[in-house]
Amino acid sequence: MGVLDGKVAVVTGSGRGIGRGIAMKFAAQGASVIINDPGVNVDGSGHDAGPADQVVDEIKALGGQAAANYDSVAEMAGGENMVKQAVDAFGKIDILVNTAGILRDRMVFNMSQEEWDDVIAVHLKGHFSTIKPASILMRQQRYGRIINFSSSSGTIGNTGQFNYGAAKSGIAGLGRVVAKDLGRYGVTCNIIAPGAGTRMTATVPDSARELRAGSGIQGAASAAPVQESAYAGLRDPEFVAPMVTYLCSDDAWDINGWVFNVSGGSISVSRYPVAERSIFKPGHWTLSELDDAVQNVLLKDIDNPAPPRDDIEVPGRDIAARVLS
Amino acid sequence: MGSSLEGRSIVVTGSGRGIGSEIAKLIGLQGGNVIVNDPGVNVDGSGTDNAPAEEVAQEIRAAGGNAIANFDTVATADGGENMITQCVDEFGRIDGIVHVAGILRDRMIFNMTEEEWDDVVAVHLTGLFNVVKPASILFRQQRFGRIIGFSSGSGMNGNTGQANYGAAKAGITGGIRCAARDLGRYGVTSNAICPGAATRMTATVPDAARDLRSSQGIQGQQRTESIVNQLRAGSYVAPMVGYLLTDQAWNINGKCFNVSGGQVSLSSEEVPYRSINKAGMWEIDELQALVPSNLMAGLRNPAPPPADLSIPGRLVG
Repeated sequence: MGVLDGKVAVVTGSGRGIGRGIAMKFAAQGASVIINDPGVNVDGSGHDAGPADQVVDEIKALGGQAAANYDSVAEMAGGENMVKQAVDAFGKIDILVNTAGILRDRMVFNMSQEEWDDVIAVHLKGHFSTIKPASILMRQQRYGRIINFSSSSGTIGNTGQFNYGAAKSGIAGLGRVVAKDLGRYGVTCNIIAPGAGTRMTATVPDSARELRAGSGIQGAASAAPVQESAYAGLRDPEFVAPMVTYLCSDDAWDINGWVFNVSGGSISVSRYPVAERSIFKPGHWTLSELDDAVQNVLLKDIDNPAPPRDDIEVPGRDIAARVLS
Repeated sequence: MGSSLEGRSIVVTGSGRGIGSEIAKLIGLQGGNVIVNDPGVNVDGSGTDNAPAEEVAQEIRAAGGNAIANFDTVATADGGENMITQCVDEFGRIDGIVHVAGILRDRMIFNMTEEEWDDVVAVHLTGLFNVVKPASILFRQQRFGRIIGFSSGSGMNGNTGQANYGAAKAGITGGIRCAARDLGRYGVTSNAICPGAATRMTATVPDAARDLRSSQGIQGQQRTESIVNQLRAGSYVAPMVGYLLTDQAWNINGKCFNVSGGQVSLSSEEVPYRSINKAGMWEIDELQALVPSNLMAGLRNPAPPPADLSIPGRLVG
């Protein structure tokens, strides 16, 4: 008996990587799964039914139930189609996992409109296109599990990923609202910020990682451990699947609206942002009052994640600042 | 007239009304040059009206400052580029961009239309890209810049009926965090503000909705009552924004500040709070044992199902 016996799931982007690992685990735990994947390249180009078909074959070979879907989540019709396919093929939809994503990394001052639009479309609109139709059915049946995929690139920040970081942080914000819109109806929505070595993370060149570290820029992207390390195997995307499976089980009925960081054998929950420090004045601050309170209280010993280089002239650091009034 | 921002040229989107107008006025009073951008739409994004931006620009000039009105929409690449270009054309340079512009199209997720989603994401989130991209080129070249994006507690904590707004506002915070890292080395700072104020936008949330949320036990933004009402004026948000634009704020980067009334808070980073660890693949039964008791202890469901709803997995009695 599996914890997802009799459940029907849609997993977007499940032809490869983390999505595939989740779909395989779901099927092993008794769920019938719609394997959605248009089979694009990491940058979103191309089309290939192969990845989705292969995962369906693998699930069936192990005695499970699955059907392939090749729609793009970037269009409303795509999201609606795959939800409808779950109902047509397996009678209902209980679980929706939004793993699909692409990368178009570029420094913000070089980022094109298309690089912005495409990443926002697949990741952020791609969550809405599936959640909207699924939420109608989940609310009606008073049962549902939604899993969104965020990233530390959005929740913490990273260089060269203005589009991806914005989309991934937006997905976390979306998840928190969906949790509140649907919780009363027996539906939960949670968010995963994963860490894994997949086709997507392989595109971040080592030279970029080294450049970030060498420039003193704090960021989310860290190098994978070298193969000889005892920790190298923990980057396998399959490690993300158990927590996702648990969250989609009946047992997790009261877990709703949280961001879980899942990587290897490590699972952590992130707290909602809180006011870490405060300054207060019962009136309007002047700029010089703020300078005093901010520098000496609010931000004392708080770092700049990307401080200005030593060789540029910074007003306030190297040359005279305008006097505050 | 102060001179804290003497000669600094700043574009403020959505500054024809509300919080944006207060920021524009403060910049003007501190010797800065302002592009007062506002297409003058309704809260839902419909309609246009040049009057709000014109009036604010005139008010700034009447007080001795420099300001010019702009009526472009941030929702298009051209609109964003136009207002940046206008700043350079009129004032010779651009030193800062404050993106306040926003609309509301509130709807529960199961009822939200594609248009309601697209419109809100376009103005708030793509609007950020449309101004940050062109401005960042110039900021990087001149080794100076200030970027301020407006997020919301509704985005960072979540509020019912605002899937589009929450996503867009959280997205703005994520974009700001990334811009901070792309640009910090060049003497450019990027920060986000989560404001609290009573403006035309917040007036649209009906009291009935607020009462419904609290009676259903749904955590969310609460209405502020009684003597703190006067602290809800938009003018209280402006000083911290003005401060972030100054030279003195050169090392403040990648942060999110909650600003409301006389209070300025540093919003915590979304870092892990508690963890469970295993040197291998987790089994489901191990998670069943450890997640509720260890990982999630004390962390409550913000929208629990009512007691009279049958929930698989919830023990009865």
